Amino acid sequence: MSKKIVTRITIVSFIVGLMIAVQYNTVQNPTARDTRDIWAIREELSQEKQKHSELLAEIANYNDVIRQYEDDDETSQAILLNNTVDDLKRQVGLLSVNGPGLVLNIGPAEELKEFGFDIEPIAPDLLIRLVNEIYRYDGLYIEIDGQRLTHTSPIRDINGVTTVNSIPIDKTSIEIKIITETFEKAEKLYGYLYASPFRDDFYLDNLDLKINEAQRDITIKEFDGKFSNDYLVENNKGE
Amino acid sequence: MWLPLLGLILGLSLGLLTDIQIPTIYENYLSIAVLAALDTIFGGIRANLQQVYDDKVFLSGFFFNIALAAALAFLGVHLGVDLYLAAIFAFGVRLFQNIAVIRRILIVKWEERHIKKNKNTV
Repeated sequence: MSKKIVTRITIVSFIVGLMIAVQYNTVQNPTARDTRDIWAIREELSQEKQKHSELLAEIANYNDVIRQYEDDDETSQAILLNNTVDDLKRQVGLLSVNGPGLVLNIGPAEELKEFGFDIEPIAPDLLIRLVNEIYRYDGLYIEIDGQRLTHTSPIRDINGVTTVNSIPIDKTSIEIKIITETFEKAEKLYGYLYASPFRDDFYLDNLDLKINEAQRDITIKEFDGKFSNDYLVENNKGE
Repeated sequence: MWLPLLGLILGLSLGLLTDIQIPTIYENYLSIAVLAALDTIFGGIRANLQQVYDDKVFLSGFFFNIALAAALAFLGVHLGVDLYLAAIFAFGVRLFQNIAVIRRILIVKWEERHIKKNKNTV
């Protein structure tokens, strides 16, 4: 092979090598582009910040309880223990709750009633969606038509009747009570619900969702059924 | 003889170390260009072994083949027909043929040398 030919082939093979390497780079590690703009990042940051402050508040809360346990003598410890149990019962739904919140009323739309439209009972799907929306915007406890919602409360259709906790709810007008942590949160929830588009979904079913302003004091009844416990067994060894 | 291989390794390492990337949409074009370039190299080696090597043919073939393949792929993308397959097929077949010819020539050369050696020793 003459020198000239070797040089030519060398140059070409250098180019080939370069091209193969570039192709390999492109196929193996495609660059994942960060497409978030400054506001998306700020949004994420604020979410994390909120989670952070919630966790801090929770820690402070538990620290308080621990300090009380450590400080007090036995009798007040019993009271504290009872308080904790009551708190838990309230959270689960075994005790009634007082607090700031909202009252919603669902009833037939007036103008449709006059024209003789059929008033259908509220569909479980719509109710479930409303409940999800309420929980999403920091609603703590919910009562639908006198039925306290617990973690296991079913909202479903039984033989064409919408039921909550397996008890049929009044089909013409329903009152929903919601309790939130603070009055500010109740006002915020009012704002969210007022602005959200699913009021139109109620109108599709010939119903009217009336959202009343936030109130300082609302009482929600306790769950009057019985919790069945299939998996946990009481252990009396400690006694 | 080892210089082309050195060039290839140099090109590969340069490409890998610099971490150059091309947009994903041009991936197809580059893969065809690689194939065209490989075809040109083996064509050149074969021509050289058959003593018909021409500098102009070699260099023009290199650039023209790459351009043609890329143009075909481009046309295919815009017509909705996978025309780049035609280029891949053509280059693939030629690559195999060229390599086969190179192999045969090398085998013949090696045998001739072997026979010569045997004659010398006898």
